[in-house]
Amino acid sequence: MTNQLLDIQNLSKAFEDEHILTQTSFFLQESKTLSILGKSGSGKTTLLKIIAGLEKQDNGTILLENNDITTLSAHKRNIVYLYQDALLFPHLNVFENIAFGLKLRKINAQEVKNRVTKMLYDLELQKHIHKMPTQLSGGQRQRVSFGRALIIQPKILLLDEPFGALDVDTRKQMQRLCKETLKQYKITTLFVTHDLKEALIMGDQIGKMQSGVLKTFKNKEEFLNDPSTGIKEEIEFWKNIHANEE
Amino acid sequence: MNANHFNILSNKIVFLMLTILPVGGGFVYAFLYSIGTIGILNNGFTLSHWVNVLTDTSFWFSLGYSFYIAIVSVSISILLALTIVLFWKKSLVSNNSIVSYLLYIPLCFPAIVVALFSFQVWSKSGLISRIVSHLGILTEITSFPDLTNDTYGFSILYSCILMITPFFAILFSNLYKQEQIDHLKNIAMSLGATKTQALFKIVLPVILKKAKITISLFIVFVMSSYEIPLLLGRQNPQMISVLAIQKLQRFNLNDIPQAYAIACLYMIFIGLILYFLFFSKSSTQLSVSPLKRNFDD
Repeated sequence: MTNQLLDIQNLSKAFEDEHILTQTSFFLQESKTLSILGKSGSGKTTLLKIIAGLEKQDNGTILLENNDITTLSAHKRNIVYLYQDALLFPHLNVFENIAFGLKLRKINAQEVKNRVTKMLYDLELQKHIHKMPTQLSGGQRQRVSFGRALIIQPKILLLDEPFGALDVDTRKQMQRLCKETLKQYKITTLFVTHDLKEALIMGDQIGKMQSGVLKTFKNKEEFLNDPSTGIKEEIEFWKNIHANEE
Repeated sequence: MNANHFNILSNKIVFLMLTILPVGGGFVYAFLYSIGTIGILNNGFTLSHWVNVLTDTSFWFSLGYSFYIAIVSVSISILLALTIVLFWKKSLVSNNSIVSYLLYIPLCFPAIVVALFSFQVWSKSGLISRIVSHLGILTEITSFPDLTNDTYGFSILYSCILMITPFFAILFSNLYKQEQIDHLKNIAMSLGATKTQALFKIVLPVILKKAKITISLFIVFVMSSYEIPLLLGRQNPQMISVLAIQKLQRFNLNDIPQAYAIACLYMIFIGLILYFLFFSKSSTQLSVSPLKRNFDD
């Protein structure tokens, strides 16, 4: 039995006359991943930024472990938001980037070293400990970015199309590594993506954002059977790929 | 050798002829003059001019004074430019805003105009002095403190700051945009940093490290400035360029080799700074060429 960790109630946000989020409500269970699909401009990023405390909502309530965090500032929420780009701190090396959050919490140097070393091992980054961000590949940078977030053991991890800038093979590797690491560290995650397949691979639960409203599906079957998701068309396309060519 | 290689080689030769050759030629001429092997009044090889310069305290005072002016004016300009960028970043990022246009205006004025303007503002008979006197704060206009041709180089600093701050503000605002500082700041806060921690641990280190080479070049640029300290500086100590030119143009022709020795020493000093800036390992990792940084956007 899993607990309800995050409860979003009637979130709304508009920029001038444009409504980005309209009365969005959903909840998220502990140690689970909710994949959110949606077109560009459907309000996914705004939703994530509001949950992280980086953007203010117009209306609505955010409850984390039944505590109201709606007005709490970003640095006190223990919710980490990651962009599509890795956005490593360019003046810090791999070790210092991963250790950043721990140092803010004034954890002693030996403990920081131990935890960063373990994280580097888990993310297969041991060889790159002293490298600067410019000396890493896209996939390596993304792994460092994950490590930097996971090491502080956030209550919730918000991933905004994290693999969007990676090539197909690196993307596959990252999906596997990310899923394993999230499971290992028992991190509750909101995973935003455009990719249907990625949403299915990464998510325990799936939601679809449309015109500022998030619809969550009870299970994958419901998602697969819903015509608005477009997944049936996708399956049909791949089934009939040879027929289409002829 | 194919045509492409020939083009690259000829471009390199033209570049060297236009840049290195005149500077190198000037340096060789100055060096030969300073050791007495050329020059109408020289009597053959001697190191006496170099010894005179190196043992003369005025040279070292000039060098120190130039360094002081450069460090203070560049530091204050950095502080002002960072303040402008952090408070008006939205206006600066939008290229059509009034703030971004206003910043370009001081860049249009040559150094001599800025020096004259500073003189008119800060001299005993200048604008500020008259206003203060009219307000009754001073009994006489002559009791206004010496802020031009003064010991601490107040008006030199003021003029340099006036010229450099807009440049740094434009540089920093470009860096702010290019390095996605807002996003980095959000990530830092998301990881638990307060706004102040994000500022001191991320925003300022990223901007300053990226601008390190440009800042260092500006220190060199201010150290070598001539018109501003000529008009607003004192007879003693003088900034290094003023000292060298005065020795070169004074009535005593025997001082000319010393002027060239000063110029040579200064070029060696600057050469060493440039060497450490461009060829030391740590400087090449983070900083970006100032030309690329300033003209890419």
